[in-house]
Order: sequence, then C-alpha cells, then structure tokens
Amino acid sequence: MHSILRRDLLKVVSAAAGVAILRVPQARAAGAKARVVVVGGGFAGASCARYLRLLDPGIDVTLIERERRYTSCPLSNEVVSGERAIATLQTGYGGLSERGVRVVFDEAARIDPVAKTVATAGGKSFGYDFLVVSPGVDFDYGAVKGLTAELAETRLPHAWKAGPQTLLLRKQLDAMPDGGRFIISVPKGPFRCPPGPYERAAQVAMHCLHHGKKKAKVLILDSNDSFSKKPLFEEAYKALYGYGPGGMIEWVPASSDGKVEEVDAKSMTCLTTFENFTGDVLNIIPPHRAGKIARDLGLATVNGAWCPVRPENMESTVHKDIHVIGDACVGGDVAGGNAFPKSAHMANSQAKVVAASLVAKVNGQPAPDPIYTNSCYSVVGHEWGFSVVHLFRVDSGQWVYVKQGSGISPVSFGTKDAPKPVPRIYRKMEAEYADGWLRNLMADAFG
Amino acid sequence: MRKLLLAVMLTGLTSTAAAQTKIEVLARTCNTCHGTGGVSAGTSMPSIGGLPREYLKRVMKQWKYDERSSITMGRIVKGFSDDEIDALAAYFASREWTPTPQKAAADALAAGEEAVRRVCTDCHGMKGGDPDIDAPPLDGQWGKYMAIEVEKYLSPEFKMPHRRMGKAVTEVKATEAEAAVRYFGAQGR
Repeated sequence: MHSILRRDLLKVVSAAAGVAILRVPQARAAGAKARVVVVGGGFAGASCARYLRLLDPGIDVTLIERERRYTSCPLSNEVVSGERAIATLQTGYGGLSERGVRVVFDEAARIDPVAKTVATAGGKSFGYDFLVVSPGVDFDYGAVKGLTAELAETRLPHAWKAGPQTLLLRKQLDAMPDGGRFIISVPKGPFRCPPGPYERAAQVAMHCLHHGKKKAKVLILDSNDSFSKKPLFEEAYKALYGYGPGGMIEWVPASSDGKVEEVDAKSMTCLTTFENFTGDVLNIIPPHRAGKIARDLGLATVNGAWCPVRPENMESTVHKDIHVIGDACVGGDVAGGNAFPKSAHMANSQAKVVAASLVAKVNGQPAPDPIYTNSCYSVVGHEWGFSVVHLFRVDSGQWVYVKQGSGISPVSFGTKDAPKPVPRIYRKMEAEYADGWLRNLMADAFG
Repeated sequence: MRKLLLAVMLTGLTSTAAAQTKIEVLARTCNTCHGTGGVSAGTSMPSIGGLPREYLKRVMKQWKYDERSSITMGRIVKGFSDDEIDALAAYFASREWTPTPQKAAADALAAGEEAVRRVCTDCHGMKGGDPDIDAPPLDGQWGKYMAIEVEKYLSPEFKMPHRRMGKAVTEVKATEAEAAVRYFGAQGR
C-alpha cells in the first residue's frame, strides 16, 4: 500500500516536473565510455557491477538497490536451525562503492527502454547505455488459497528470501514442542535454490534431534515428483534422521497428493486435493516469478513468469541493450531438462558473462565466448554435506549442457551391481567446503 | 604505453589476444570458489593465484583422469579440455602469490616451526614461501584447507599420488601436523 501511494505521488510529481526529470538524467561521469545501470543488488547484480568495474574502470556503473544490507540465501537454512548466526551471511555495499560503483539505495520503479532511463520511487532518473535487470523473484501468494504476503511476514513465513522471515521461522522452530510437526510446502518448479527445501528439512530435523524433540516430524509436501540431489538427501535422511513413515522426515510427492492448494492459518492446516495436514509450523514456499519490474517491462514472456535471454550475452530477447540475470531469467538447455538452476553461483557466473560482453562491446572488441558454471553445496547435518556442479557452453548460438563437467557428489563408490557407500569423510569435507564456498561467493560478488 | 601495447596486439597478435581473452573468461569461473584472482576469502578453499604452473597442471590432470581423489574438483575439471587446463595453470601461475596470514598462538607457532623444519622445508621452503619449482607455496595459505589436505593424505579413502607428501605426513604426529599448518598459515611476505 505504502509503495503504491509513493508511486502514485511520483507520477504526479513527474507529470509536473517530468520534463526536467527525464531530460536531465544523472550526468555521465566525465570521460566515461558508457553508462550501465544495474537494477537489483543480489548476487547477480552485485557481481555484475563489481566485474564491470574490475574489467574496465572507464565504465560508469550505477547499482539501484532497495536494501542497505544483503543477506545470503545460501546456507541460510543453518540460521533456521540455529547452527549459524545470520550476521555471517550479511554484507553491505561498501565494497562496491570502493570500486567506484555508484550505489543508490532506492527502488527502481519504471524502466523506459526507448528513452533508456530508469526512474526510481525516490524521484530520481538514471540514463543508461546498457541496463542489467536482476530483480530476483517475487512470490505469487495468490497461487495458494488463503496465503497472503502479510501472513508470510507473521504466521506463515516462507523464508525464501533470507532476512527477517528466516529469523521468524527460526523462532517458530524453537517454540515447536516435542512431537510437533514442521511442514514444508514446496512450490512447482522452477524455484530459487532447487535443493533448498530438502536441505531445510534436514536442518530442521537436526535441530529437533539436538534439542530434545525426538518425536518431532518434518513433512515435505511437494508440488513436484522429484528433487535436486535426491539420492544424496535420501541417504542422509535415512542415516541421520529416519526417512519415510515412522522416520523423522517424510516426503509426499505431487503424484501422492503432495501439492498444497490451500492453507488455513487459523487452524494451521494445509489442504491438498484430498487431505488436510495440520502442523505446528507451516513453512509455505509460494511459487515464484521474475521480480515485478521485469514483468512490468514485458521481459517475462515465458509463462508470464520468466525472462528469456540470449545465450551469448544474457541480453533479453524482448528489448535490446537490456540484460536479465539471476533468478529472474530462464536459460540453459531448457528443452533437454537442464535449465540454469536458480542459484547464487549461477547468478554470479551469468553476471561475469554480461560484464565481459559489455566491456568488449564498449571497447569495440568481439565478445569472448561465454561459459557458464554453477556449484551449490547443501549441508544436511553436522559434518555432512554434498554438492552439485554444472557447466554450460554456447555452441552455434545455443546453450549446451556439458555433462562431463557437471554432476552431483558421488552416491556410491562401488559398481551398479555392488554398490559401496561413499566414506563419511567425503561428506564431512563437503560440509567444510560449503563455508569456504559461501565466503568466496560473497567476496566475489560484494567484496 | 597501454595503447601502444593494444595496437601491437591488434595488428600482429590477434589470435593470441583472442586466446588470452578466452582463458581470462574461463579463469573467472574459478574465482567464485577460489576468490577473485584466485585469492581465497574462505578458510576451507585454497588460494590458487600464484601456485606453480607445473603443480596446477599436474593436479588438475590427475583429477580429470581419476588418478587423484577429489571432493568437487574432479567433477569440474572433466568439463575442461587438456589445453584449457594447461592455459588455466599458466594463467593462475602468472599471478602473484598473495598470502593471507592468519593468527596463531605462540606455542603452536613454535611447535609448528619444529615440525616444519624436520619434514616440510625440503620441498616447501622454511616458511613455505620458497618451494621447489613444482611444489605449492604454503606461506599464508589457509590453515583449514591445509589441514583437510593432510587429512586426505592420511586417509586410506583417498588416492593421493604424491609419494613424498604421502610419506611426509606419516613422519609427524597429528598434533605436529596441526601445528605445522598453523605455522604456514601464519606466514606473510
């Protein structure tokens, strides 16, 4: 409500003084080769702004971001379980400022792709030669009957954008009694952080085990029939917490009526097509779509939710000189079932492709062949982690998923006929690597 | 000077320039886990900028061809051609080694120095900063990372083909190895 009022007010102000606002966008820094505006300072936007300045300090870079501090989603499930302080996942934008990025704390309200300007809710206007749109995702609360944004902030946190809701969910878990039931509702994919809900289930179970709640249950109600790193999660669930009926963690796939259609906050009930599930904590993760500013501009033409981009440089297929990166875009070998995962590393990788492409363009050089990578660690218990890596190249203008450079941690060390469990020391080391990975990811994006 | 250099590159060395751009793009993908420019910001992940070319080449190829156990890297380098691995090794070797000195207690440093003098200096140099041509510098490398590597050498579950290192880790007690990595981690340049 508040932001709508502000936006309306802005319209009035722009109507009165609009000419002045549009005609005098922020002056180009003296001698700048080009102006790039980045909308949204998550892993994608921050990485892009940072790498643009690293690769060519002659480029004028403005980053528009609402919040003064950023909280990493990766490893934030450890905050929910109480294993990690949220401060270890937070950073400001001082590192980017020091590299000469103009960081503007404001909300990008309107993009004009013809005049090439971005207007902010705060009444500023920024002209650009190239625009990077990295707004992340919005949550489609309407997709689950009975769910609202307000409920997500009070009783039914999704905690799928790390921050206050992460702490709220942690508090709810703390207050959950022994014998209590923690329900995680997983939306239909694609969603941010594909292994995230399943890592959360393990972290919640670990919390319960370590806090005298051995009779607690974690129920995953899923709108999908499979999930990321499934054999690795299931191995850990079985070994650490018990899995399936009688175990601490239970998974109900869509094909077994796992899709939550409706939620009743008063009675704390999730309704699927045929059943009602009551829980002590309801962690309802709503379906996602690209951030509003991208949809408003008409960039999200895939199912009205996601922004298609060109493989060579992540440029929108809808508007020239506008690049969409991070969770809002859709890319990779979608037809082959290997779309880009919506992950922080993937966002960072896409950002580097855009930065290299723009730097080449601005300097009159041919764009280098892009390469896209991903790595993602999940921590499911003390000294138990695993990962997935992805590699994509571009051939003849198409994304190619490179199987040889991709894959999950080994599930077995034996043969297919004689499987041999992977030694625990491998899982222990992956949990140790997870922290180093996160620290470098943060530093490579915000440092 | 830079403009002159650029002109030279554009006229005479176009193909070299293109190859150079490409390896920089590829190398940038390593930064996400190993730090910008290969200088790591995470204790369990090694800095790789400034490691010797031969060492980087050998280790990556051993991972690629399953001659050396790894946790993550084996899966990653299988996606790279041998030429790309060689170029990556040359690229990161050309960068300056940047130690990240970590704090350590005085008694750990003293114990570490003793162990290092006994078994590590031959290949890595007294303070880890003067290694053999194909051995990694260890001064200011992350202690946590080095401890994990020692653990791999000591574990029967890992194939670690460097015989000399495999022998060295058996010549110190566990507490001495721990002190040694603290000692190396504390060194700066």
